[in-house]
Amino acid sequence: MPDEPDPDVLRRFAQGDLAAFEALFRRFEGDVFRWTVRILRDESAAEDVLVDAFWRAYRSRARFDPSRSFGAWMRRIVTNAARDHLRKAPLRESGLPVDQLRAPARDVERDATVRLAFRRLPPKLQIVATLALVENEPYAEIADALDVPVGTVKSRVFRAVRALRKELARLGIHHD
Amino acid sequence: MTDDDRLRALLGSAFPETSLPPAPDLWPSVVARLTAPVKPSWLDVGLVAAIVTALAMVPGWLLLLAYHL
Repeated sequence: MPDEPDPDVLRRFAQGDLAAFEALFRRFEGDVFRWTVRILRDESAAEDVLVDAFWRAYRSRARFDPSRSFGAWMRRIVTNAARDHLRKAPLRESGLPVDQLRAPARDVERDATVRLAFRRLPPKLQIVATLALVENEPYAEIADALDVPVGTVKSRVFRAVRALRKELARLGIHHD
Repeated sequence: MTDDDRLRALLGSAFPETSLPPAPDLWPSVVARLTAPVKPSWLDVGLVAAIVTALAMVPGWLLLLAYHL
Protein backbone atom coordinates (compact mmCIF):
# COMPACT_ATOMS: atom_id res chain seq x y z
CA MET A 1 0.00 0.00 0.00
CA PRO A 2 1.40 3.49 -0.81
CA ASP A 3 2.55 5.77 2.02
CA GLU A 4 -0.13 7.86 3.62
CA PRO A 5 -0.57 11.25 1.93
CA ASP A 6 -0.13 14.65 3.45
CA PRO A 7 -2.72 15.26 6.23
CA ASP A 8 -3.70 18.50 4.51
CA VAL A 9 -4.69 16.58 1.35
CA LEU A 10 -6.81 14.22 3.45
CA ARG A 11 -8.47 17.12 5.25
CA ARG A 12 -9.23 18.89 1.96
CA PHE A 13 -10.61 15.65 0.50
CA ALA A 14 -12.93 15.25 3.50
CA GLN A 15 -14.16 18.80 2.78
CA GLY A 16 -14.93 17.91 -0.84
CA ASP A 17 -11.92 19.37 -2.66
CA LEU A 18 -11.87 17.61 -6.05
CA ALA A 19 -8.16 18.37 -6.67
CA ALA A 20 -7.28 16.67 -3.38
CA PHE A 21 -9.46 13.72 -4.37
CA GLU A 22 -7.63 13.46 -7.70
CA ALA A 23 -4.27 13.50 -5.89
CA LEU A 24 -5.48 10.64 -3.68
CA PHE A 25 -6.85 8.78 -6.69
CA ARG A 26 -3.50 9.04 -8.53
CA ARG A 27 -1.66 7.83 -5.46
CA PHE A 28 -3.90 4.86 -4.62
CA GLU A 29 -5.34 3.81 -7.97
CA GLY A 30 -2.63 1.22 -8.67
CA ASP A 31 -2.93 -0.45 -5.28
CA VAL A 32 -6.72 -0.46 -5.36
CA PHE A 33 -6.76 -1.84 -8.92
CA ARG A 34 -4.35 -4.68 -8.16
CA TRP A 35 -6.29 -5.57 -4.99
CA THR A 36 -9.52 -5.70 -6.99
CA VAL A 37 -8.01 -7.80 -9.79
CA ARG A 38 -6.79 -10.26 -7.16
CA ILE A 39 -10.29 -10.57 -5.72
CA LEU A 40 -12.18 -10.74 -9.02
CA ARG A 41 -9.46 -12.10 -11.33
CA ASP A 42 -11.09 -10.14 -14.12
CA GLU A 43 -9.45 -6.89 -15.26
CA SER A 44 -12.50 -5.48 -16.98
CA ALA A 45 -14.72 -6.05 -13.94
CA ALA A 46 -11.96 -4.65 -11.72
CA GLU A 47 -12.00 -1.39 -13.70
CA ASP A 48 -15.76 -0.98 -13.19
CA VAL A 49 -15.49 -1.83 -9.51
CA LEU A 50 -12.60 0.61 -9.05
CA VAL A 51 -14.60 3.48 -10.56
CA ASP A 52 -17.58 2.54 -8.40
CA ALA A 53 -15.39 2.37 -5.28
CA PHE A 54 -13.83 5.81 -5.79
CA TRP A 55 -17.28 7.22 -6.51
CA ARG A 56 -18.50 5.71 -3.22
CA ALA A 57 -15.44 7.11 -1.43
CA TYR A 58 -16.13 10.64 -2.68
CA ARG A 59 -19.78 10.43 -1.72
CA SER A 60 -18.82 9.20 1.76
CA ARG A 61 -15.98 11.70 2.21
CA ALA A 62 -17.70 13.43 5.12
CA ARG A 63 -17.51 10.19 7.09
CA PHE A 64 -13.76 9.80 6.49
CA ASP A 65 -11.59 10.59 9.50
CA PRO A 66 -8.41 12.32 8.17
CA SER A 67 -6.44 10.98 11.14
CA ARG A 68 -7.00 7.38 9.92
CA SER A 69 -5.38 5.55 7.00
CA PHE A 70 -6.86 6.47 3.62
CA GLY A 71 -5.41 3.33 2.03
CA ALA A 72 -7.08 1.01 4.52
CA TRP A 73 -10.40 2.91 4.22
CA MET A 74 -10.22 2.68 0.43
CA ARG A 75 -9.50 -1.06 0.56
CA ARG A 76 -12.60 -1.57 2.70
CA ILE A 77 -14.72 0.37 0.22
CA VAL A 78 -13.39 -1.47 -2.82
CA THR A 79 -13.71 -4.86 -1.11
CA ASN A 80 -17.37 -4.09 -0.40
CA ALA A 81 -17.83 -2.93 -4.00
CA ALA A 82 -16.23 -6.17 -5.25
CA ARG A 83 -18.59 -8.19 -3.05
CA ASP A 84 -21.57 -6.30 -4.45
CA HIS A 85 -20.27 -6.99 -7.95
CA LEU A 86 -20.03 -10.73 -7.22
CA ARG A 87 -23.61 -10.68 -5.88
CA LYS A 88 -24.94 -9.14 -9.08
CA ALA A 89 -22.65 -10.79 -11.64
CA PRO A 90 -24.10 -13.84 -13.36
CA LEU A 91 -22.31 -17.09 -12.60
CA ARG A 92 -19.94 -17.74 -15.47
CA GLU A 93 -16.62 -19.33 -16.17
CA SER A 94 -13.81 -16.80 -16.19
CA GLY A 95 -11.40 -16.80 -19.14
CA LEU A 96 -8.73 -19.46 -19.12
CA PRO A 97 -5.18 -18.25 -18.65
CA VAL A 98 -3.18 -18.64 -21.88
CA ASP A 99 -0.67 -21.09 -20.37
CA GLN A 100 -3.50 -23.46 -19.47
CA LEU A 101 -4.52 -23.88 -23.07
CA ARG A 102 -1.50 -26.14 -23.52
CA ALA A 103 -2.23 -28.22 -20.40
CA PRO A 104 -3.66 -31.74 -20.76
CA ALA A 105 -7.40 -31.66 -21.48
CA ARG A 106 -8.24 -33.51 -18.25
CA ASP A 107 -6.43 -30.91 -16.14
CA VAL A 108 -8.11 -28.04 -17.99
CA GLU A 109 -11.50 -29.61 -17.37
CA ARG A 110 -10.73 -30.22 -13.71
CA ASP A 111 -9.50 -26.63 -13.24
CA ALA A 112 -12.65 -25.28 -14.89
CA THR A 113 -14.76 -27.40 -12.51
CA VAL A 114 -12.81 -26.11 -9.50
CA ARG A 115 -13.36 -22.52 -10.66
CA LEU A 116 -17.06 -23.19 -11.10
CA ALA A 117 -17.32 -24.64 -7.59
CA PHE A 118 -15.47 -21.59 -6.29
CA ARG A 119 -17.79 -19.16 -8.07
CA ARG A 120 -20.76 -20.90 -6.50
CA LEU A 121 -19.64 -19.89 -3.01
CA PRO A 122 -21.62 -17.03 -1.46
CA PRO A 123 -19.77 -13.75 -2.29
CA LYS A 124 -18.67 -13.05 1.27
CA LEU A 125 -17.10 -16.52 1.53
CA GLN A 126 -15.70 -16.28 -2.01
CA ILE A 127 -13.81 -13.07 -1.23
CA VAL A 128 -12.30 -14.45 1.96
CA ALA A 129 -11.42 -17.74 0.27
CA THR A 130 -9.80 -15.95 -2.68
CA LEU A 131 -7.67 -13.78 -0.45
CA ALA A 132 -6.78 -16.48 2.09
CA LEU A 133 -6.50 -19.66 0.01
CA VAL A 134 -5.57 -18.41 -3.45
CA GLU A 135 -3.70 -15.18 -2.76
CA ASN A 136 -2.31 -16.28 0.64
CA GLU A 137 -2.99 -12.89 2.22
CA PRO A 138 -2.48 -12.75 6.01
CA TYR A 139 -5.73 -13.06 7.99
CA ALA A 140 -5.07 -9.72 9.68
CA GLU A 141 -4.91 -7.93 6.33
CA ILE A 142 -8.12 -9.61 5.14
CA ALA A 143 -9.83 -8.67 8.40
CA ASP A 144 -8.76 -5.06 7.93
CA ALA A 145 -10.04 -4.96 4.34
CA LEU A 146 -13.39 -6.42 5.36
CA ASP A 147 -13.60 -4.44 8.60
CA VAL A 148 -14.31 -7.60 10.60
CA PRO A 149 -12.40 -9.34 13.44
CA VAL A 150 -9.72 -11.90 12.55
CA GLY A 151 -11.91 -14.56 14.18
CA THR A 152 -14.64 -13.84 11.63
CA VAL A 153 -12.14 -14.29 8.78
CA LYS A 154 -11.04 -17.66 10.22
CA SER A 155 -14.64 -18.76 10.57
CA ARG A 156 -15.46 -17.70 6.99
CA VAL A 157 -12.40 -19.53 5.64
CA PHE A 158 -13.52 -22.65 7.52
CA ARG A 159 -17.04 -22.37 6.10
CA ALA A 160 -15.70 -21.67 2.60
CA VAL A 161 -13.46 -24.75 2.69
CA ARG A 162 -16.33 -26.93 3.92
CA ALA A 163 -18.69 -25.59 1.22
CA LEU A 164 -16.02 -25.92 -1.45
CA ARG A 165 -15.30 -29.56 -0.55
CA LYS A 166 -18.99 -30.34 -0.64
CA GLU A 167 -19.48 -28.65 -4.03
CA LEU A 168 -16.36 -30.28 -5.51
CA ALA A 169 -17.59 -33.69 -4.38
CA ARG A 170 -20.99 -32.95 -5.94
CA LEU A 171 -19.24 -32.05 -9.20
CA GLY A 172 -17.27 -35.29 -9.10
CA ILE A 173 -13.90 -34.02 -7.87
CA HIS A 174 -12.70 -35.93 -4.82
CA HIS A 175 -9.45 -34.50 -3.56
CA ASP A 176 -9.05 -36.63 -0.41
CA MET B 1 -0.19 -34.42 2.04
CA THR B 2 -3.15 -33.25 4.15
CA ASP B 3 -6.65 -32.50 2.84
CA ASP B 4 -5.94 -28.79 3.13
CA ASP B 5 -2.74 -29.14 1.09
CA ARG B 6 -4.62 -31.06 -1.62
CA LEU B 7 -7.33 -28.41 -1.73
CA ARG B 8 -4.71 -25.64 -1.99
CA ALA B 9 -3.01 -27.56 -4.80
CA LEU B 10 -6.32 -27.80 -6.68
CA LEU B 11 -6.95 -24.08 -6.19
CA GLY B 12 -3.37 -23.25 -7.17
CA SER B 13 -3.85 -25.12 -10.44
CA ALA B 14 -7.28 -23.59 -11.13
CA PHE B 15 -6.15 -20.05 -10.26
CA PRO B 16 -2.52 -19.82 -11.40
CA GLU B 17 -0.52 -16.83 -10.33
CA THR B 18 -0.80 -14.11 -12.94
CA SER B 19 1.24 -10.98 -13.37
CA LEU B 20 -0.85 -8.08 -12.17
CA PRO B 21 -1.48 -5.48 -14.87
CA PRO B 22 -0.69 -1.80 -14.44
CA ALA B 23 -3.71 0.27 -13.54
CA PRO B 24 -5.25 2.07 -16.53
CA ASP B 25 -6.04 5.77 -16.17
CA LEU B 26 -9.61 5.65 -14.89
CA TRP B 27 -9.79 9.19 -13.52
CA PRO B 28 -11.95 10.42 -16.45
CA SER B 29 -14.42 7.59 -15.71
CA VAL B 30 -14.53 8.55 -12.03
CA VAL B 31 -15.19 12.21 -12.90
CA ALA B 32 -17.92 11.18 -15.37
CA ARG B 33 -19.54 9.07 -12.66
CA LEU B 34 -19.34 11.91 -10.13
CA THR B 35 -20.96 14.40 -12.49
CA ALA B 36 -23.64 12.04 -13.82
CA PRO B 37 -27.16 13.01 -12.72
CA VAL B 38 -28.44 10.78 -9.93
CA LYS B 39 -31.43 8.76 -11.06
CA PRO B 40 -33.99 7.78 -8.42
CA SER B 41 -34.18 4.02 -7.97
CA TRP B 42 -37.30 2.05 -8.96
CA LEU B 43 -37.74 1.31 -5.26
CA ASP B 44 -37.96 5.05 -4.43
CA VAL B 45 -40.38 5.69 -7.31
CA GLY B 46 -42.51 2.70 -6.28
CA LEU B 47 -42.59 3.79 -2.66
CA VAL B 48 -43.68 7.33 -3.54
CA ALA B 49 -46.35 5.96 -5.91
CA ALA B 50 -47.64 3.60 -3.21
CA ILE B 51 -47.85 6.41 -0.63
CA VAL B 52 -49.64 8.76 -3.04
CA THR B 53 -52.10 6.02 -4.05
CA ALA B 54 -52.75 5.10 -0.42
CA LEU B 55 -53.36 8.75 0.52
CA ALA B 56 -55.71 9.23 -2.43
CA MET B 57 -57.74 6.22 -1.32
CA VAL B 58 -57.67 6.97 2.41
CA PRO B 59 -57.06 10.73 2.92
CA GLY B 60 -57.30 10.27 6.69
CA TRP B 61 -53.89 8.62 6.63
CA LEU B 62 -52.37 12.00 5.77
CA LEU B 63 -52.75 13.09 9.41
CA LEU B 64 -51.18 9.82 10.55
CA LEU B 65 -48.29 10.32 8.11
CA ALA B 66 -47.83 13.94 9.15
CA TYR B 67 -47.76 12.91 12.79
CA HIS B 68 -44.89 10.46 12.13
CA LEU B 69 -42.82 12.83 9.96
